[in-house]
Amino acid sequence: MGHYQHSHSPADWSASGVADFDRLLAGAGYRVRSSDPQHLAQGLEQLDSAAAGADDCESSPPLIPCDTVHYNHPSDLTAWVDSILSDLTSAALPHPPHPPPATWIATVYSPGIHCTLEDQEDAGIRLIHLLMASATAVHRGDAGLASALIDDTRHLLTCVSNAFGMGKVAGYFADALYLRIFSPQSAAVLSSPAVDDILYHNFYEACPYLKFAHFTANQAILEAFDGEDRVHVIDFNLMHGLQWPALIQALALRPGGPPALRITGVGPPYPDGRDNLREVGLQLANLAQSVKVRFAFRGVAAARLSDVRPWMLQVAVGEAVAVNSIFQFHRLLGDPDEAAPAPIDSVLSWVAGLRPKILTVVEQEADHNRPGFLDRFTEALFYYSTLFDSLEAGGAGVSGDAAVAEVYLQREMCNVVCCEGSARVERHEPLARWAVRLGRAGLKPVHLGSSAFKQANMLLSLFSGEGYCVEEVDGCLTLGWHSRPLISASSWCSGDHVPSPETMTTSCILAGSNVINVKSDEVNYVSGSAV
Amino acid sequence: MGEAQEEGLEEEEHDKPRGYNINDNADLLAEVLARLDGRSLLVSAGVCRLWRVVSRNESVWEALCNRHVAAAGASCSGTRAVVAALGGYRRLYRRCVGPILDRLAAAGEPVTGSEAAAAAAATLSLSLFSIECYERLGVAGRQRPSSLLFLRSAVDVS
Repeated sequence: MGHYQHSHSPADWSASGVADFDRLLAGAGYRVRSSDPQHLAQGLEQLDSAAAGADDCESSPPLIPCDTVHYNHPSDLTAWVDSILSDLTSAALPHPPHPPPATWIATVYSPGIHCTLEDQEDAGIRLIHLLMASATAVHRGDAGLASALIDDTRHLLTCVSNAFGMGKVAGYFADALYLRIFSPQSAAVLSSPAVDDILYHNFYEACPYLKFAHFTANQAILEAFDGEDRVHVIDFNLMHGLQWPALIQALALRPGGPPALRITGVGPPYPDGRDNLREVGLQLANLAQSVKVRFAFRGVAAARLSDVRPWMLQVAVGEAVAVNSIFQFHRLLGDPDEAAPAPIDSVLSWVAGLRPKILTVVEQEADHNRPGFLDRFTEALFYYSTLFDSLEAGGAGVSGDAAVAEVYLQREMCNVVCCEGSARVERHEPLARWAVRLGRAGLKPVHLGSSAFKQANMLLSLFSGEGYCVEEVDGCLTLGWHSRPLISASSWCSGDHVPSPETMTTSCILAGSNVINVKSDEVNYVSGSAV
Repeated sequence: MGEAQEEGLEEEEHDKPRGYNINDNADLLAEVLARLDGRSLLVSAGVCRLWRVVSRNESVWEALCNRHVAAAGASCSGTRAVVAALGGYRRLYRRCVGPILDRLAAAGEPVTGSEAAAAAAATLSLSLFSIECYERLGVAGRQRPSSLLFLRSAVDVS
């Protein structure tokens, strides 16, 4: 593997964070270092002239039906390099790569070649190149070329180990692209909540991302509830309620005694009639009762978060409200170039109207909501490669879970790549943009304290896999793998200029009596269809 | 480590008329065992029936937990009640505190000597323990508790 120098641009993590990509470039013989555009132009000229001499070798391989072999052409190669590099602040200075481009390209695309690729990383680069070319073809609407390229990718994958590493990820992406071309509707089919449950649970066990989210949010909530007697937590995606036992326990051990706790859990309705929310509520109530915390639970079943209305949450006067959103807000976003306002804005405004003492937001730190497909694909390629990488490194001991956890990620990735319009719900945006949105809704940032940071660090050191890192940026914590941030956690509270809402006066299931009750018969069930 | 064990055995051999047999006084035995480390305590359960009973005493494990990870700021009786409700100190140590201490030591960040680290480890242990207890509560109809599996799996410390 070639040696390389890598310079960090301190202000922009994406430059330093795409170390994987740099490593792959280096494997192809590129020396990556910061330089000015002039050098880049020179480098590209060099590349051009080197590749021009290779034109003779560019006989169109029989595998590809069409004559024009776009992806082989030097200008596409540099365009590819360009589109990647335009995302980085440091420009690459490519040398004539070893081996020279001609034989490199020819080797990849010649049919029937017995792959004697000694270097896995070499194959990795070729796979990326194939995937990018295929995605470009999809972007241009050339389905024929795209599917041919995907076949090439799969052919290459048969030579490369696809049990781990770049091979496996490339396989997933090839499948996703194939799905996009031929049957995008099947990708949009939502699986049953029961399957979602299993996938979620395995993802929870196999890697620290969800645990990090829960523990960090809990710490912020705990600190916000300091001194409060009656507290109300609203969870926008209850799932199994795994986040809350730790909070209940921490409140039980609070010096001065526990407050009266209410939890309102939002979740999708189950098609087979099973009342998941109620079951989880019962379980939480049992736990709370055993540690002597006054507890009440309420379930709100809603297919989409935008269907929920504030009156369903029944926020009472005088209680401190915490709103918790783990990987939920991005589902409310729309296409950025659409004129119509996305559901997120109205949801955020009524959340702010609840005047929450704390709003905890955990989101993926990625830009997967760009309108252009190629941009999105490129981002997703690097983001999910890093995620899968981290799963693999930590998955040695719990192999079964890791495999299922990968399916969880794979589905997410498929949604980003294959779906469009309302079917695409995985519209991740980076924290900076969330900060702007939340600020517009009238929410002020609350710095996550040092205890959250220390706790996160300690949690991560429990996980095998040396690459996890927690960083603090502007009072928000991000969890990353090898310096690429993947998840960000932040907390907010209502600003002073938010107008007082009507919800607080109308709903009030009277602050006194029945709400504050430990027993299970307090589990209320509200169907949240659009009102 | 094995001194208390050896002492007990020796005394039994010499037996009557003089010599104090530690097995005559379970409370004293508990006091002694409470000073052992986790592994030794588990091993001591195999010595004899009495030792098995005494070594499973909650107070012994509570002493062990508090020695390693003092729950900073929480009142003793309050913590005791909560831990008891969640499954007890023995379970807490075996499922959470023990593996966490091992992992942290293996990762090069031992908790001993740092109060802040000990407090953080205590908080973390209790949080994880509460999740495990929660899963156990809901086991009927669902899969077995598995949230702590990541602690039990082998760590690659190469």
